[in-house]
Amino acid sequence: MVHDAQMDYYGTRLATCSSDRTVKIFDVKNGGQILVADLRGHEGPVWQVAWAHPMFGNILASCSYDRKVIIWKEENGAWDKMYEYCGHESSVNSVCWGPYDFGLILACGSSDGAISLLTFTGDQQWDVKKISNAHTIGCNAVSWAPAVVPGSLIDQPSGQKPNYIKRFVSGGCDNLVKLWKEEDGQWKEDQKLEAHSDWVRDVGWAPSIGLPTSTIASCSQDGRVFIWTCDDPAGNTWTAKLLHKFSDVVWHVSWSITGNILAVSGGDNKVAYTL
Amino acid sequence: MEELDVEPAITNIPAASDGKHLGFAWGPGDILAYETLYMAPGSGCSFIHEVRKDEDIYSPILRKLFNESHHIFVGLQTIREDLPSKNKKTQFVSISKNYRSVIRACMEELQQVAVSTKVAEVATQYGNQVSILLAIELIWNLCEVLFIDAAPAGPLLLHLLDWVRLHKGDVDEKAREVLQSESPAEHHDYWDVVVSYVLQGRFEEARQMLVKQATLQPAARNMYKLMDTLLSKMPFYNPGGTQTLTEFDVKWRHWHEEVDRCLQDNSFASNQHLEIICKILVGDEDTLLEHKELLSTWYHFLVTRLLFCHPTVKPTELHYYAQSCMTMFLDLRSVPEPLDSILLAAFEFDIHQVIKDCSIALNNWWFVAHLTDLLDHCKLLQSHNLHFGSNLREFLLLEYASGLFTHHSLWQLAVDYFDNCPEFGHVYLELQIERVPLDTERKALKVLRICEQRQMSEQVRSICKIMAMRALRNNRLGSALSWSIRAKDAAFATLISERFLQDYCARGTFSDLDLIDNLGPAMLLSDRLTFLVKYREFHKLYEENRFSEAAKLLLSLITAKIAPRSFWMTLLTDALPLLEQKEVIFSADQTHELMFCLEELTSSLNTTAPGTDRTMQVRISSCTQTCNRLQIKILRCKSAITIAMRKGKNAPGF
Repeated sequence: MVHDAQMDYYGTRLATCSSDRTVKIFDVKNGGQILVADLRGHEGPVWQVAWAHPMFGNILASCSYDRKVIIWKEENGAWDKMYEYCGHESSVNSVCWGPYDFGLILACGSSDGAISLLTFTGDQQWDVKKISNAHTIGCNAVSWAPAVVPGSLIDQPSGQKPNYIKRFVSGGCDNLVKLWKEEDGQWKEDQKLEAHSDWVRDVGWAPSIGLPTSTIASCSQDGRVFIWTCDDPAGNTWTAKLLHKFSDVVWHVSWSITGNILAVSGGDNKVAYTL
Repeated sequence: MEELDVEPAITNIPAASDGKHLGFAWGPGDILAYETLYMAPGSGCSFIHEVRKDEDIYSPILRKLFNESHHIFVGLQTIREDLPSKNKKTQFVSISKNYRSVIRACMEELQQVAVSTKVAEVATQYGNQVSILLAIELIWNLCEVLFIDAAPAGPLLLHLLDWVRLHKGDVDEKAREVLQSESPAEHHDYWDVVVSYVLQGRFEEARQMLVKQATLQPAARNMYKLMDTLLSKMPFYNPGGTQTLTEFDVKWRHWHEEVDRCLQDNSFASNQHLEIICKILVGDEDTLLEHKELLSTWYHFLVTRLLFCHPTVKPTELHYYAQSCMTMFLDLRSVPEPLDSILLAAFEFDIHQVIKDCSIALNNWWFVAHLTDLLDHCKLLQSHNLHFGSNLREFLLLEYASGLFTHHSLWQLAVDYFDNCPEFGHVYLELQIERVPLDTERKALKVLRICEQRQMSEQVRSICKIMAMRALRNNRLGSALSWSIRAKDAAFATLISERFLQDYCARGTFSDLDLIDNLGPAMLLSDRLTFLVKYREFHKLYEENRFSEAAKLLLSLITAKIAPRSFWMTLLTDALPLLEQKEVIFSADQTHELMFCLEELTSSLNTTAPGTDRTMQVRISSCTQTCNRLQIKILRCKSAITIAMRKGKNAPGF
């Protein structure tokens, strides 16, 4: 049973993960399908995979029921474990790489209710920050906000590293959608968005098309998909709009690259396109 | 969000069985779908299906359509706003004709392949594409007549006649067949051809055909003469002439009365065919409808009816006639096809409906995007706000161009489309261009040039970084260095310079000398890089036996302290051969500075913490030895200088 399939940035490679505990990587250039790697290391069904930005090389993260997050890297044509994180006490349900502007940083959501942030600091070292009890009972999904520099309308003097505000959204078994912000090196809960009446299964932060608005999609066990929008750049007032109520659990939401289409996957075996 | 008022099409994914979920992921031009169970282990079908919406961009013949229409599009965008509207209209009509000729050319090519291929699948596929293009051209042509050319009453009918004639090619085919036969007037299709000509208002040709019949029936000569006269006297409005519309109308009515009189007089009663033609000329609806097969479409019926009942029809009256003609013609079929609705919407001058229906009916945005763009330039679209605020034209162009982006070479066309979308084009381009696979250096440079031209500095940085990393991983240091210079990435340039220096220490030679020697001001990007370049320069000077310049450079490198600390020993060691030259190279001041640096280095070595390991100690001691040698050399040099001074000879450096 395949649990997740993700194309890399360019659509030339496909990574899949499965109940059989493996992560497989295929070369799909020009309509072909060549198995490039069969990665073994997890001891339970693997729930999600995520490709990092190509500027860091070929790097893939996977998370599994076995409570582990493994980061794989391709070196000289061969895939190998780059890092293994075992700091969760329960199944890790979701992994998501941050925008490349932040460097190599991975958010992981787990059934133990915690969210961990793994940052690559160079020379095979990873820095770990953990947000315990992010969602009571468990965290099901994490998704990063696009990189935005505060006051980015003003020119930054070149050569200086801009001060990015790192934000991401998470959804959990407490029926909540939470926004997190990094301040002074610490992660703080920024917003708590309530609208769902059952476990939030997936969240997705829409890509930025240059407007000052931010948009988040969330879907839940209660069959509802909400679209959250915030018009002020400070990110304080969020309004929910019900996109649709489906007759069954909605498991997965995903924005297209330009954020004009939201794909939704529900328990009634359908994938709906919304413009 | 606008409500969808049409049920979205359902695409079935095979092998997604009951009780399982449908997983999906976005691909660049498609969606991946697979059977799964969310958050529950299990077994099942392990296939992943690729769902692709638009196959057209992969068709080699259609690619010409995209390429050539791109060319026309770009030209259209440059039409100056300040031209007088009359000139602009002519230009717009000409551009519209250009687009249509491109469609026709493509259609012909597809038709040729469809006919000549032996593969049934290909024939069907291409045949379908031909039908679609035919419909597209039909619609476009009508839009050109009604919206762009916007002919008033009078010329309007003439244009519509042209339109119908252009899209009913089988008449000429049949005519050819009949004329090439032994006795055309006795051919079984003869009368069909004559009637078809009349229905299309092609009276000259009808008359020529009739002559053949007339010669066969000398007894009926008068009847044929009469018909010939009627046909020749039918007035056609001349747009370029001096006659006003009213005058034409009067003339036409006279003629119409004359034809009617012939009917009433039973002038053609003895010849069934001529009688039918006379009834057609008088515009008898029932007779027209009896010839549905020859008319074949309701819009042909519409134009013919207008020709013989109301040639001075006004644009605003069209929709009434169109609706009634369609109803009369299609009485057997209950639901009109999409094409019919689109044409009807056009006759009703409901441009938005036309665009909307076309968008739904076709699976490729090409047609609606280009047509809407042209109509927008003609200022025919009211601003029609969509969900995310961009106007209709921009929305369609963005969708079309985004579709092109997934193609390995057509993506370059998409750039121009994005450039001409003022609101979101830039950001769409930013998001899409990062996804173009950088398979080769050449392609990367192409992408880069596009980004640089548009001041997309983020993307430039990102692409250069990706290429630099890739080169570094493949040990192509020179390439990595030039990419990081292009990215203006000081940190990376430093990293690569260190690698170069390490290489040098290991092998004693530099790689990529061409690059390093010709960096110019780029070398100032990072201190380490500057050092690398200057160090290499030192070696060059030495090889060219320009010792005093080499010495000066070396000394400046040592004293400027841009060398990494680990390199100091190497630098001082490099001074050795210079000191060993027979000639005294260094001046007194220079030797002073050398001594000073040496002392600093020696003291740092001596203050190394105790307990350092054996290898470290070995290194330190060998360093110390070299230092001692240096000291001796320098002192010898110094004394040589002093001697030279005493002897009155000019020592170097003075």
